[in-house]
Formats: sequence, C-alpha cells, structure tokens
Amino acid sequence: MFRVPTTIRLRRRLRAGAELALPFVVVAIFWQLFAMFGPMPPKLFPGIDKIVTTFVRLAGNGILALHALTTILRLVAGFALGAVVGVLLGVLMGRSRWAEDLLLPLVSVGNPIPGLAYAPLFVIWFGLGNLPAVLLVGFAAAFPIAVNTWSGVRAVKEIWIRSAVAMGAAERQLFRKVVLPGSLPYMLTGPRLGLARPSRVLVAVEMLTSVTAGLGWLIFGAREFLNTDVMLAGIAVIGIVGLTLEKVVFEPLEQSTVVRWGMMTR
Amino acid sequence: MKLRAIAGTLVSFGLAAIAWEAFARSGLLPAAITPSILDIGIALWGMIRNGTMFVHVGYTLFRILIGLGLAIAVGVPIGMLMGRFGFVERFFLPLVSVLSPIPSLAWVPLFILWFGLGNTASIALVFYAATFPLILNTWTGVRSVNRLWIRAASAMGAGRQTLFTKVVLPGALPFVIAGFRQAFARSWIAVVGGEMIAATKWGLGWAVFDSKEFLNTDVMLGTLVVIGLLGLGFERLIFQAIETRTVVRWGMVKSAKA
Repeated sequence: MFRVPTTIRLRRRLRAGAELALPFVVVAIFWQLFAMFGPMPPKLFPGIDKIVTTFVRLAGNGILALHALTTILRLVAGFALGAVVGVLLGVLMGRSRWAEDLLLPLVSVGNPIPGLAYAPLFVIWFGLGNLPAVLLVGFAAAFPIAVNTWSGVRAVKEIWIRSAVAMGAAERQLFRKVVLPGSLPYMLTGPRLGLARPSRVLVAVEMLTSVTAGLGWLIFGAREFLNTDVMLAGIAVIGIVGLTLEKVVFEPLEQSTVVRWGMMTR
Repeated sequence: MKLRAIAGTLVSFGLAAIAWEAFARSGLLPAAITPSILDIGIALWGMIRNGTMFVHVGYTLFRILIGLGLAIAVGVPIGMLMGRFGFVERFFLPLVSVLSPIPSLAWVPLFILWFGLGNTASIALVFYAATFPLILNTWTGVRSVNRLWIRAASAMGAGRQTLFTKVVLPGALPFVIAGFRQAFARSWIAVVGGEMIAATKWGLGWAVFDSKEFLNTDVMLGTLVVIGLLGLGFERLIFQAIETRTVVRWGMVKSAKA
C-alpha cells in the first residue's frame, strides 16, 4: 500500500490540530479582553488565567474528581434503573397489543414532561439526598428508552420474523435471535437519549436536593462565595464528562454492534 | 382502529387515576403529600379562576418565546453558513460540539450572578439551551440537500440566490424543523428548571418550587399537569402543524409516526 511520508503526515496532523485549536484560541482571546476591559467586575467574570489556575488547583487536590465521580455514580445507578424499566415496558408494548393500548398513552404523555419538574415532588416524597436524585434520573431515563424500544420492536422486519418462524424458531428464540438484535439500533438511540436527558437534569437536581457532593452542587455552592472561577471549572468538567461518555461509551458500543452487523452506517 | 385507540387511552388513564386515588387514600403516606385527584383539580381550578395560573403561563411563555426567537435568529444563520462554507464549519463545529453537551442548567448559578434573578437569566438560559440543537440540525440539513437537485437547478440557470431560497432552504427544512423540536424540548426543560432556581415571583417552574415550601402538593401537581399539557400541546399542535403544512405536503418525509 502507498504510504504517505512521515514528515507530510506530521505536518498534516499539526495543521489539523491548529485548525481545531483556532476557534478556542479566538474565543479565549475575546473572553480575556472582555474580562480585562469589559463592564463586569473580575470577581464575576474571571479571566482565562484565573479559570485555568483554579481548574488545575481543583483537579490537583482531587476535588473535581470527587464531585465528578459522585455525579457519574448517581447517573449510572439511576440510568440502570431506568433502562431496566424502560426496556421491559418497551418490549411489552411492542409485543402485546394489550400492553400497547394501556401503556402507550401514559408513556407518551409522560415523555415530554421535563423530569426536572418533578424534582420538588420527589424531594417531598423521598427526602433530600441521594435517593430522590437517583430515582429522578431513573424516571427521566425510562420514558425515552421505553418509547424507543417500542418503536424498535415494531420496526423489526416482518419478513425476518416470518422466515424465522418458517424455519421453526420458537417464541423464545424468535425473541432472542431476531426481535432483540433487530430492534437494537432503536434501543441504542433510546439509551443515548436516556442518558443525555437525565445527565442534563441531574446537574440541576443536585442543585435542588442539597446533596453533599456532585458537580451540580459544586457549581451551586460556589455561588454563595461568588467563586465564578470554580463554577466555570465545574462547567468545563461537565463538558468533558459529556464528551467522554459519547466517545468512550456510545460510539464504540454502536461500532461493535449495529454498525458491524451492517444495520447502520456511519 | 380509531375507536380502539380512544378506548385504550381512556381505560389507561382511568386505571392510572384509580391506582393513584387508591394510593392517596390508603394512608401509606400522609394525605398532605399525596393529594387526591379531586384536590388537585380544585387547586388547579382555583388558580385558573383567580388568574394566577395565566400569569404563570404568560411569564413562562414570554421567556421561552423570546429566548427561542433569539436562538433561531442566531442558530439558523450560523448553521446555514456552516453548511455552505468550509471555513465557517471548521471554526464553529469544535465550539458547538464542546458546548452542546453541557446542560444549560449548569449555567444557572453563573447566569444569576451575571444577569441577576428574573427574566434575563431565564431568557439567556433558554437561548443557550436552544441554540446548539438549531445550529447542528440546520448544518446537517444543508449538507444533506440532494446534490442532484443543486446541480439540476444550476443547470437550469438558477443563480446563487434562487438556488438558496428555492433549493437549499426548502431542502434543509425537514432537519431545521427537527431542530426546532429539539430546541423546544430542551428549552422547555431549561425554562422550568431555570425558573425554579432563578425566577422571582412568576413562572410555572417557580410555582412548582414555591408550593414545595408550603407543602402545597395539590398546587404542585396541578402545575405539573399544566406543564405537561403545554409541552404536549406545543409538540402536537404547533410543530406537527408546521410539518404537515410544509415538508409532509411537499412529500419530503412521510407523515409523522402513526
């Protein structure tokens, strides 16, 4: 195979890197100029240098990692709960007319209500702390997962089912070997939504349920002391966690399943 | 078919109501935190009659509409430019993909410090929540316009402007409308959440949060019903209507899910 010489490849990499960095540099310059000469006091609008120092300090003494880990743990626990309930409901609705008639109206009304709106109610019912936060994440995750699993199960090609039946597949096998893999593309977008939505909500929930750690709490608590640099460092961590989840969890998952099976191209 | 669906809906809501009512009256939890449906209805009716509900809804709608309007004015042009010009895409795409996954609500405390409590903070929040889905969807839409249409139009002598208004814009519309939907869903969460933390006296989110202080669960659940109905109404009435009038009528997408 033809190989591009190393120097050219290196130069291309550098160029791509520079192109990627350029927008951030431009924004950083504007931010810095605004911080230095803008109308906001520096306590409210810290310069880039201040934010970076704070970020490094908080990352160094493990505070950021602690809060990020707490948030991720809550997210995972809640998501697992929501996924189990959502997939069960979705499969039930997809396979049985009965369940569809009874459950679908409830699910489609519940789905568009922002999970966050329930936060005060959950606080009253389950007290402050971890329990309402995890339950709320599960609750917010279950709806999109249920809806997507349902449409996934229904989207399985009729002909696959018929040919499997013709070849003598029992109900159990049909489900495991045809329906489940066939609806997987939809199910994957379900959890994607089912994780994206609650992770958006969780940050605010942590502000409202007065937990003792977590990125939302870190940002909210910093407000008391006008620590805008801590807030911005926290927001940066949230962005990094979000991007990492997407790149490390979902894309490989998609690659190793539905893309490999040729059901979806990317 | 249709009758069956309606009957199913009625039965499912009826069963859910009965289950809730049984739970509320069972005394497992104090009545103050699990109000019966009748209480919720009375509280809701009271708020409608003395007009407070309309003021809450009005404030929330005002915030979301201004924020969404600003987001459309900024997001759609940026998305279009990104789809048309490589250098714009290379500049904005990294920024958008880093900022988009950050939940808008994470900015609430900072926005409160910057803009104070009240309308400005909520509007800024809606703007942040709505802009990125609009940019991303418009960008995808412009890129997905069939090459053949563009070539055909240029072959028939369309100028840059005609090409844009007659081919690119309508061609990208299914995605742009999907973007509106996503933007609305996100800003609906943002505005309710933002009002809980940053509003001063009015707004649906504030109404929910405020009733927590006094344990008025009936008011809280009544407001939740309104939030759900309004969100559903926007989705079903406005966005579906826009879709049937434009892209579905033009035959670009099959009519939305059954």
